[in-house]
Amino acid sequence: MPLRNTRHRWGVLSQLFHWLIVALVIVQVTLASLADDLPPGAKKLALLARHKSVGITILMLVILRLLWRSLNLTPLLPMTLKPYERLLARFTHAALYVLLFAMPLSGWTMSSARGFPVSWFGFFTLPDLVPKNKSLYAALLTTHEALAWVLAAVVALHVVAALKHHFMLRDDVLRRMLPFTTTRQGPKA
Amino acid sequence: MIVTSSVRAPLLATALLAARAAAADAPAVTHYVLDPARSSLEFNFLQAGAQNKGRFRTLQVSLDFSSDNLAASRLDVTIETNSVDTGDQERDDTLRSADLLAVAKFPQAHFAAAKIERTAAGYDAIGKLTIRGVTRDAHLPFTFKAASENGAPAGYMSGKTSLRRLDYGVGQGDWKATDQVGNDVGVSFALRLAAH
Repeated sequence: MPLRNTRHRWGVLSQLFHWLIVALVIVQVTLASLADDLPPGAKKLALLARHKSVGITILMLVILRLLWRSLNLTPLLPMTLKPYERLLARFTHAALYVLLFAMPLSGWTMSSARGFPVSWFGFFTLPDLVPKNKSLYAALLTTHEALAWVLAAVVALHVVAALKHHFMLRDDVLRRMLPFTTTRQGPKA
Repeated sequence: MIVTSSVRAPLLATALLAARAAAADAPAVTHYVLDPARSSLEFNFLQAGAQNKGRFRTLQVSLDFSSDNLAASRLDVTIETNSVDTGDQERDDTLRSADLLAVAKFPQAHFAAAKIERTAAGYDAIGKLTIRGVTRDAHLPFTFKAASENGAPAGYMSGKTSLRRLDYGVGQGDWKATDQVGNDVGVSFALRLAAH
């Protein structure tokens, strides 16, 4: 399988970024909901510390992912798509990228506003993005949670669309993001 | 050589006189108390991998001190544990709870040093530190600068040290773990003392 993207499929590195971020977002949702159910204490602190570290990891991965995307071809959308479907696909992908930035950045800012510096797995401490501010913290907490629901909705749309392409339209759209598969269009991997 | 009692008696008398003279020559120590408005006692700790800070708002200090008479110098510090302030209400409440400072049961932490020694950098107060009902030997390095302000003697005392919270049982249950909240707690103080 090629490292780089072609016009017909995603390369290994793009696939790796995609699925690694999928896995880490699932970890994030799990850590956040486990922490939500706990009263303040050592266990909650540990879960939220992990949540912040994983969030910063996602932020770093998204930056690398966009860099890599800018240095690569982007596989074409199928010719069969109607104009509004094209628009919807573009919008969904853009929204996913925006949210992958907005989630960690709102979380990081929120932690700064609370007065809790963010550490990346204890290896280094990130700078505070804003000075301590109680009402800003409260607003960002609401924002962070609301964005999580928006992300869930956009992800649902993305997944439904991928499945529709695969099972109903029977095209390569899902397959070309999957490792160890062959696509019908373009040269064999 | 045999020292007879007739020789021994004057020797003893001379020694006693010398000691008395030394005691009379030793300058009196000054008694200082805290000027709370111009003093701070801070601590820092690792929380979730990052350094965090806090302070105790209420403490009493009693210092009998003269750099020329360390033998008669004493330090006594009492900290109201309820006055802990890390700038976060939820965290402060957690710190006050039974598993950490347990302020309801142990409202005060106490350091008492009857011995003060000179060091290269300043002084070292050697005594006992009690936190959460656990008393251990401890010493507190500090610098002291005597001043005269508006005709009244004052003193500036500052220093830095560190302790391990678990030595004093600050951290029961889940808080015994040190991966999220470090065992080492840094302590720094800058106190203004007024002669009393």
